[in-house]
Amino acid sequence: MKDGIALKINSYLTFKLGEEVFGANVSKVLNILEMTKITKVPKAPVYMKGVINLRGSVLPLIDTRIKFDMSETEYTTNTCILVLDIDMNGDSVHVGALVDSVQEVIEIEDSQISPPPSIGSKYRSEFIEGMAKIGDEFIMLLNMDLIFSANELSLLKESTGEVQLEEGEVKK
Amino acid sequence: MDNFKKKFIEEASEHIQDLEQALLELENNPTDKPLIERVFRAMHSLKGSGAMFGFEKISEFTHNLETVYDLVRNGEMQVSGDLLNITLTSVDHLQNLLKEEDNLSDTVLEQHKGLIEKIEEFIQVNTKSVIAISSNKGASDSATFKTYFILFQPNEDIMNNGTNPLFLLDELTSLGECIAIPILSKVPSLEDFDPNKCYAGWEIILATDAEINAITDVFIFVEDDCILDVNQICDFNVLNSPVFVEKIQELRVLDREIGLPQLKEIISNLSKPEVKQTSKNKEEKTTQTSKDSTISSIRVASDKLDQLMNLVSELVTTQARLALYAETDGSTELLAIAENVQKLSRQLRDNAFSIVLIPIENMLTRFQRLVRDLSRDLKKDVVFIAEGSETELDKTIIENLTDPLMHILRNSLDHGIELPELRKQKGKNPQGTILLKAFYSGANVIIQVFDDGSGIDPTFIRNKAIQKGLISPDAQMSKKEILDLVFIPGFSTASNITDVSGRGVGMDVVKRKIADIRGEVEIESDIDAGTTLTIKLPLTLSIIDGLLVKIEDVYHVIPLTVIDKIYAIEHTKVMKAFNNTVVLDGEQIPFFYLRNEFGLTEFTESPYEQIIVIRYEDKRVGLVVDTVIGEYQAVLKPLGKHYKKQEHISGATILGDGTIALVMDTNKAIKQFSNKLITVEEPK
Repeated sequence: MKDGIALKINSYLTFKLGEEVFGANVSKVLNILEMTKITKVPKAPVYMKGVINLRGSVLPLIDTRIKFDMSETEYTTNTCILVLDIDMNGDSVHVGALVDSVQEVIEIEDSQISPPPSIGSKYRSEFIEGMAKIGDEFIMLLNMDLIFSANELSLLKESTGEVQLEEGEVKK
Repeated sequence: MDNFKKKFIEEASEHIQDLEQALLELENNPTDKPLIERVFRAMHSLKGSGAMFGFEKISEFTHNLETVYDLVRNGEMQVSGDLLNITLTSVDHLQNLLKEEDNLSDTVLEQHKGLIEKIEEFIQVNTKSVIAISSNKGASDSATFKTYFILFQPNEDIMNNGTNPLFLLDELTSLGECIAIPILSKVPSLEDFDPNKCYAGWEIILATDAEINAITDVFIFVEDDCILDVNQICDFNVLNSPVFVEKIQELRVLDREIGLPQLKEIISNLSKPEVKQTSKNKEEKTTQTSKDSTISSIRVASDKLDQLMNLVSELVTTQARLALYAETDGSTELLAIAENVQKLSRQLRDNAFSIVLIPIENMLTRFQRLVRDLSRDLKKDVVFIAEGSETELDKTIIENLTDPLMHILRNSLDHGIELPELRKQKGKNPQGTILLKAFYSGANVIIQVFDDGSGIDPTFIRNKAIQKGLISPDAQMSKKEILDLVFIPGFSTASNITDVSGRGVGMDVVKRKIADIRGEVEIESDIDAGTTLTIKLPLTLSIIDGLLVKIEDVYHVIPLTVIDKIYAIEHTKVMKAFNNTVVLDGEQIPFFYLRNEFGLTEFTESPYEQIIVIRYEDKRVGLVVDTVIGEYQAVLKPLGKHYKKQEHISGATILGDGTIALVMDTNKAIKQFSNKLITVEEPK
């Protein structure tokens, strides 16, 4: 990995999308905001929610749930915006990510992290840095740079149509 | 120390640029005295500061050049094409020296040696005839010696700039005979002594045949950091008089400043006829001081300017909030204040803008040089004319415009202008012309590059595009559409690749780079008449005057400069319109229903909507919005890379209440909307 410094920080912010728990290295997260007024940008892809006013500058907002092929985020009191610092082709870009709820910051040692499963995962493996088992829960540690700079709509494996069907059923 | 070096490099590149420009002008007016002076001055400054900051190669090199131009300046040598050629190559070499600094590559060193030899040769060949003259001059030399008294009192912190006052004294000594007497009265006791400060001053008596200007030139870089007073005390070499020198030595032992009056007294005692001279000195002194007091411009670091622009933007945003609050609060006093703040911030904004605008003249020198050198290489005779060089543009735009323009000029030279013989055959003036024209047009600056060369043959382009599979052989295309093909990536029209242009990365890069600064480029060409490239650029990148409108719950800003008129229109009229045109003031106007374009439902809140008629190319086009709010000064903020594909939005701005409004790029929006119409029709 290129960002060796980021890897040295072993703190991860965990958040939930639906029932699944994900982790993002804290070095990528600048800020956590409550829901605020979103201005829609016409003719943009669905996962691009719009822009928000972040203390005088304009921050694009991504619906993380749509990226993970879940239904559009429904706004609750727990809905949060993570302000991320993303490396997009070498440039540092700030972007907001809508998540269902933010959990906690935990320490995960490198030894606790196992490589992403190559079989049986819904998501393309390059988006996942590793898996960690904390207590009874599995946490998916995400490669935020790749996820939030990729232009594709969904992070699902394209080959596994079966999984997509399953997802579709969940939506209903 | 790195800081000083950086400063030097910055300054030196400016001198080099100035030098280059002056040389190019000199080519057209070889006898223009002020121009020769300018060339000489630039060289002199380079030499001086180069030596001061340890760039010995530069200093040594410019010294040689300077010698040549000293001869020119004194009328002992003529400006010739050969001389200019050598000097211009030397200018390039200087640039290399500056770039590579300490670790010079072998090729540069070789070039360095070669050029110096060339220059020296040049001096020798051209000075043979001059020797006779200068020996003549030698006879009168002693008579032209004058004695000056110089009071040089540097500021305490002069050494912070990396200046060593002793070097300046050395330089003075090189002008003639000189006695320097230090003034040590300000030197503090050892406890208070700061080794980084300069406490000493000097009284200098200099006998030289140089003019007073040559003396002040020595101090040119420290003028602002010292007290400098140069006075002629008599018009002969007083240091030749043993009596005088003795007297000075006596005074020196006393460890007190001698001062001008006392010095004059000594001299007048030496020889009576010199009394007259003193009155003349006074005049000289007064002119000297008045010259120093006016400063017409100052140098400011560009990041300070960026900071200023940011602050102004913040202020404009805050002012919008104040205006909003004043309106809802309703207090008349507050409203008056808010209005005043608005007026002031508008003025401040315009002012700050004009600061970052620089005339395009700044980049023209480079073009002139390019055309000159390239036309020689290609054996073509081309004259480069620039019109409207005073046209001003945002400095970031200028910075990003140079490369594409260079490319365009290269294309014109390489493919456009024909060889002189061919031009004669065609019945054209054997000398080709490249005209660069810049002018304002509404909120835009237009830059046109015109050449009277062979033009572009549309059938040739068409065949090539078919051959490359870019278009199908039976495609029906207008001439304009065919010419636009040159902007497609991978399309290079040069049949044989030269090192000048034609590497397949041609006009598409130009187009992309210009699009990066929100500009547009168009091409027009007629066979054998020439080619015109038109670049349309926005005046500024950061704040625009706009009209605030609302579509559903989203605010949009439409640049005021493109708006022609606003009408209220019945909703039913919009929906029933045939072929999306309405008749307004007796004119048929095509329109776009923005709610439709943005994929929203019909407007239902009121039976009336607003149609904003804007100018698009040379047509008038209507955009239908829900409501018009009013005028608004929008501080443009980028939407970020994630919205790069949404070209119809050029940015966003933050309104007084903190909500975001989207700034529309009407040109691109309309282009997008109308393209969509075509693609929808095609499948049928």
